[in-house]
Amino acid sequence: MAAPLALLLLAAVTVRAALFRSSLAAFIAERVEVASPLSAWKRVVEGLALLDLGVSPYSGAVFHETPLIIYLFHFLIEYAELVFMITDALTAVALYLAIQDFNKVVFKKQKLLIELDKYAPDVAELIQTPLEMHYIPLKVALFYLMNPYTVMSCVAKSTCAINNTVTAFFILATIKGSAFLSAVFLALATYQSLYPLTLFAPALLYLLQRQFIPVKPRSKSFWLFTLQYAALYLCSLVVIVCLSFFLLNSWDFIPAVYGFILSVPDLTPNVGLFWYFFAEMFEHFSLFFVCVFQINVFFYTVPLAIKLKEHPMFFMFVQIAVISIFKSYPTVGDVALYMAFLPVWSHLYRFLRNVFVLSCILVVCSVLFPVLWHLWIYAGSANSNFYYAITLAFNVGQILLVSDYFYAFLRREYYLTHGLHLTRPDGTEAVLVLK
Amino acid sequence: MAATVPAGGRVRGAAALLLGCCAAALASGVQDQAEQFFRSGHTNNWAVLVCTSRFWFNYRHVANTLSVYRSVKRLGIPDSHIVLMLADDMACNPRNPKPATVFSHKNMELNVYGDDVEVDYRSYEVTVENFLRVLTGRIPPSTPRSKRLLSDDRSNILIYMTGHGGNGFLKFQDSEEITNVELADAFEQMWQKRRYNELLFIIDTCQGASMYERFYSPNIMALASSQVGEDSLSHQPDLGIGVHLMDRYTFYVLEFLEEIHPASQTNMNDLFQVCPKSLCVSTPGHRTDLFQRDPQNVLITDFFGSVRKVEITTETLSLDSDLAGFESKLPVDELATEPLKYAEQLPVAQIIHQKPKQKDWHPPGGFILGLWALIIMVFFKTYGIKHMKHVF
Repeated sequence: MAAPLALLLLAAVTVRAALFRSSLAAFIAERVEVASPLSAWKRVVEGLALLDLGVSPYSGAVFHETPLIIYLFHFLIEYAELVFMITDALTAVALYLAIQDFNKVVFKKQKLLIELDKYAPDVAELIQTPLEMHYIPLKVALFYLMNPYTVMSCVAKSTCAINNTVTAFFILATIKGSAFLSAVFLALATYQSLYPLTLFAPALLYLLQRQFIPVKPRSKSFWLFTLQYAALYLCSLVVIVCLSFFLLNSWDFIPAVYGFILSVPDLTPNVGLFWYFFAEMFEHFSLFFVCVFQINVFFYTVPLAIKLKEHPMFFMFVQIAVISIFKSYPTVGDVALYMAFLPVWSHLYRFLRNVFVLSCILVVCSVLFPVLWHLWIYAGSANSNFYYAITLAFNVGQILLVSDYFYAFLRREYYLTHGLHLTRPDGTEAVLVLK
Repeated sequence: MAATVPAGGRVRGAAALLLGCCAAALASGVQDQAEQFFRSGHTNNWAVLVCTSRFWFNYRHVANTLSVYRSVKRLGIPDSHIVLMLADDMACNPRNPKPATVFSHKNMELNVYGDDVEVDYRSYEVTVENFLRVLTGRIPPSTPRSKRLLSDDRSNILIYMTGHGGNGFLKFQDSEEITNVELADAFEQMWQKRRYNELLFIIDTCQGASMYERFYSPNIMALASSQVGEDSLSHQPDLGIGVHLMDRYTFYVLEFLEEIHPASQTNMNDLFQVCPKSLCVSTPGHRTDLFQRDPQNVLITDFFGSVRKVEITTETLSLDSDLAGFESKLPVDELATEPLKYAEQLPVAQIIHQKPKQKDWHPPGGFILGLWALIIMVFFKTYGIKHMKHVF
């Protein structure tokens, strides 16, 4: 599988290089859907220029990247395009390896459950075969690299690509089973943007599953492992934060990065839900609503953990999707990350109900974003409501996608254990409903 | 008879007495006249007439101001001594059915706009700032003469203001206000700079009396059309033009002024009686406690007219022709220096070839060390210490 992957990487790099050289690069770099105040390349350049002038880059609310990004780009700023192409390639490779291992795990588990007779007799068509699972890793890499969203993020040199790389490495480390590396990468991902904190739960569940530790509140080994993992994670986080202090000898970066993410002061339009609300909100309500909106991101972790504790990878996927929909400054690069996982659940296709609607929504919204932006900002014949409507529709589409997959997954699990032809006690056909 | 001689003496004495009395009377008559000549201490008159409202429906404020302008001009104050500020143009307003006219009486009897109106501050130039600058004289040097109040310490100034007001303020142009405190301070500035001899302040707005409550400079007399808490009302609408033409107080003041001519002896007490409550509905007020003369002795023409005191003499005066002390001094020729070329004065060459000082930032050594140490530790923790021997 190395050869097709190499070919894919080559093709992806070519596409990106071609776009870098064309005139579209400047246009794409300016788009608000791709570059948010957190991840815009202009701001990175500005921050580094401020640093060269002897001023703290965090003064003036321009630069909201972490000190590690400063360190990285201080030396690599002339090779920025190469850096972003390499990060995309690294993400794709990491996802490829991760999904390869994951498929092995899934297959093993499936085999175990079949031998233990846990499946109903008539579910042969639902069982995944190695043949159809063979190309999934490649498809994942393909989905990530060739996704127009990813390409646009790369061409815009949005640092979202770096966040995606760290998250991909985290997923790889988790699937490989190394708790230490997983904790380190999770700490790095949390350090970069605050929201991967919620990925702690699926990673923990996966590692517990891998170590065959049952998830029971009374089990001592469960708590032991949880504490170990949490300690590793928190220690690495503290170490990274303290190390960042030594870069600039100041704690300036904490309010500039985390304070900025949490308190959402910058209301530049983006594909998220925050900006419009807070643009028209009265001052004394804004604290309350900031809290509500931020809790919304973290809120789904516990219920999903309870429901999906047997399927931590799916939980991870849903969690990443929830983060990229509800985070304070989403971009299409975040969307690209969870879309890369869709081939992993391609066996759920027969249970998906909204494929047409979803694809229409996503395609139409993606096309309408620049159109309505132009109408609003340049032509002056629309206003922010138009753009926000499309943002809303886009997010609704994403939520629909996630919930559709969620429902399909649960349905399949139910059918696996109860058989495809469900009957009521009196023999008539029953229909499965999600409540 | 011995009685006739003393009688003749008595008659002569009586005649002498009478003559003496006559002389005394004559002398006192001259005295009186002389006194009258120097009664008011002013030698010139100025008028500052301000209308502060814009929009067509405030026609009456412009008509008020123009009526006072007309009276003041008729009584002798020339345009060079009048600062007329009108916040809007009613005569050429597109809604004016009779263009180039501003009427002050219904049935269009009296056109106060006329042919020789000189408006000094017009439209958006009528602001609180400009008004205060006019009063205090703190005007940019580029201001034309017609826009300046060039009064001195022998000037009697009439200040007339009209518009919309409230308790303690007067609204300018529907966007800003002047308060009574500001006005009082402006008058104090004028007093300290000796910019007036006596000042008559008339205001025709709602609650106008509040505007003169805060004055504290001497020699100010103030009249207002209504007390605090009362509204000043307009007089009559003209159905042809469609708006109210005048305010009541100014209407009756105008009527009063129409009977004044430059030689009249009418005094201020008569002006205080103008527009009683029965006619004006509001109660006009006045304030004379800061004024040093008795209002009885103050003529209307002291403020509204420009009565010049003229002394005719038949003597000849000789001007001093001692100009011997005046020598014209020519400036000493300075050493002529070479004219410098511009480029030589400016070190352009130096500036062009100067490279900007680059202050490069480097990450501190401790940070780099710590980071790479961490990375190496993570690497070896993951992949085991056994690889160490391959490294070293």
